[in-house]
Amino acid sequence: MRSVKLILAAVLAVGLLAAGQEITWMSTQFVPIEEAEWVRNTLLPPFTQQTGIEVNFLGSEYAAFVDRLMAEHEAGQGTIDVICGLHGDFSSVLPTLADVSHLLPTIPGTLPPAMVELAQMGGIQAYIPLMQATYLMVINKAALDYLPEGVDIWALTYDDLLAWARNIYEATGEKKLGIPAGPGSLLHRFIHGYLYPSFTGYQVLAFDSGAAVRMWEFMQELWGYVNEAAPTWDAMDTPLLTGEVLIAWDHTARLKGAIVERPDDFIAIPSPAGPMGRGFITVLAGLGIPKTSPNPEAAAELIRYLTSPEAQVAILEGVGFFPVVEEAAGAVPPGALQILAAGVSAQAGSPDAIVSFIPGGISDEYKKIYRDTFTKFVIRGEPVDTEFLRQQATRLRELYLEAGAPYPAPDG
Amino acid sequence: MNWRRFLGTDTLLPYLLLLPTLAYLLVFFLVPLGNAISLSFWGEEGFTAQHFLGMFQDVKFGEAIKNTFFLALSIVPLQLITALLLAMLVNTRFRGSKFFLYLYALPLGISDLAAGLVWLAIFTQHGYLNSILMALGLIERPIYFISYQNVGLTFLTIVLAEHWRATAIVLVILVAGLQMISRDYLEAAEVLGAKRWQKLWYVILPLLKPSLQSALIIRTIFALQMFAVAIALGGEIVPVLAGESYYWYSSYRNPHIASAYAVLLMAISLGMTWVYLRFLRTRPEVTRL
Repeated sequence: MRSVKLILAAVLAVGLLAAGQEITWMSTQFVPIEEAEWVRNTLLPPFTQQTGIEVNFLGSEYAAFVDRLMAEHEAGQGTIDVICGLHGDFSSVLPTLADVSHLLPTIPGTLPPAMVELAQMGGIQAYIPLMQATYLMVINKAALDYLPEGVDIWALTYDDLLAWARNIYEATGEKKLGIPAGPGSLLHRFIHGYLYPSFTGYQVLAFDSGAAVRMWEFMQELWGYVNEAAPTWDAMDTPLLTGEVLIAWDHTARLKGAIVERPDDFIAIPSPAGPMGRGFITVLAGLGIPKTSPNPEAAAELIRYLTSPEAQVAILEGVGFFPVVEEAAGAVPPGALQILAAGVSAQAGSPDAIVSFIPGGISDEYKKIYRDTFTKFVIRGEPVDTEFLRQQATRLRELYLEAGAPYPAPDG
Repeated sequence: MNWRRFLGTDTLLPYLLLLPTLAYLLVFFLVPLGNAISLSFWGEEGFTAQHFLGMFQDVKFGEAIKNTFFLALSIVPLQLITALLLAMLVNTRFRGSKFFLYLYALPLGISDLAAGLVWLAIFTQHGYLNSILMALGLIERPIYFISYQNVGLTFLTIVLAEHWRATAIVLVILVAGLQMISRDYLEAAEVLGAKRWQKLWYVILPLLKPSLQSALIIRTIFALQMFAVAIALGGEIVPVLAGESYYWYSSYRNPHIASAYAVLLMAISLGMTWVYLRFLRTRPEVTRL
């Protein structure tokens, strides 16, 4: 009877402790409903068990994220304890952020120094890197039958890709290359982070250069082998699974579904290289603490938990974001994720790499500038018009000028 | 309790009863409407036409306005004809006609995006239609119904989907209109020796005009605003005005140009409504026979 009372008392105490320690985590990542549910039901419960801290996860669109942090900052009183966002999200809310450099020695893994440095903005450690993502290619093994002779898929060039897609078309009569070009697709990332850096060396500065003209003419030719429904596709996992395409480029999270479903059929490989090198985007997300955080100690506890190798692998398994902590990279279990991770590390480690960043702090209209140019020259197939390119380039530079934002890598 | 005494006068009652609706309209319709109009005309330096200029210069603008008009022009007449035929069929009150009325009205209960996705599953490269055609040996490899190289065909899939989805609303209005036509007129016409098509042309259609007018106004406005079905099936291939407004707001985060698109759409809708009211006007003496 006494032991029962003791247990009851213990349960009550833990309950009270947990009730006292509730923190709110606002994030521009894990926003889709199934990802948010996964965070709440799978990622966070072990943390609450270990520490007794309840976490109220709040997925937020970028605009609401910025508005809310700014409002709390101006009010001098906050409800948000910890935030998660992309590198660019942090640069938009810099004045509201506390320096988190004191947390670095307590992170339970090794963070790559380059990433830690990247997360330093405005003289403070603005965030602790949490996870990374990129965009690469996934191929169906059936496509290897048509691979042009002497081509190495781990060091593919855009010319190789063209020859490969042409081979498939000539053999089967079907256009089996997939580029997501639907309204909700990430096509703009392909243009500003992959095509432009690979062909011109820059994503902004050489927008209307001669190299850019040659790039658009190349894309017009390549487009002839892209599946005709591409302008309706937002993600490439389904077309890969149905066999509508054999070679596809997209975000890792939007390719993962295909590999998880049939891991034996697909390989993830680096994106192609152009005349200037292998342009690709590294997306870096991190964790920060607002100056107005009501409970910065509990927030730091959550950051330490999320950067542990176990949580890092769990994030990869749950939502397909890749670990930043070095100890986690070796801990990825075999299967779909290992296949993707192999492609990601091959791309990141390629000798001709040109790393691009996603523009931050400027109007999202830049996406439209890249996409409209693509629509005009590639989807509609109009002749490459240098005057139009010049106008778009001017508008693009204006957007950076208006916001006073620096050009993202590789330009800046 | 004496209601009339309580309310002071019985002429006040209708206005009091209207109040909740008016409040609803004010909060959820008039205020946002005013906001949208001011967003489209006001910039940092006050009144400006800059947002409308931005809209006109948009690479997608020409195509979006063309598609929006063509879609409305192809969908609405087609729906009107189908709905009229179905309404007259249902109105013959054959056995089980009620059942058919409910069956035809079924798509009304489906969200437009869901309807678009259903039709996408039919028309996509490895969709139901291609699978059936290939299984029957009619084609060797899939037809690209949805293709940037064949905008016409993609356009047709949208017309079909929208026709399937939204004809029922016209049907319901027309059935109600038909049921209001007194049998006396038709019997009188028969006595005077009118043939079938004469009854349709000289009796039914003129008496149905008020219903036709409402159906046309509702359907044309909704067709102009059509968005989810066009996005699901046409993606970037068939841009429409409502879609561009949405993308300017949500993807490119420019509420000013998004509002300019919305205000343009409203102006077009108002214009079309005026045209219907003007040209389908029913003279009182005709209806009050």
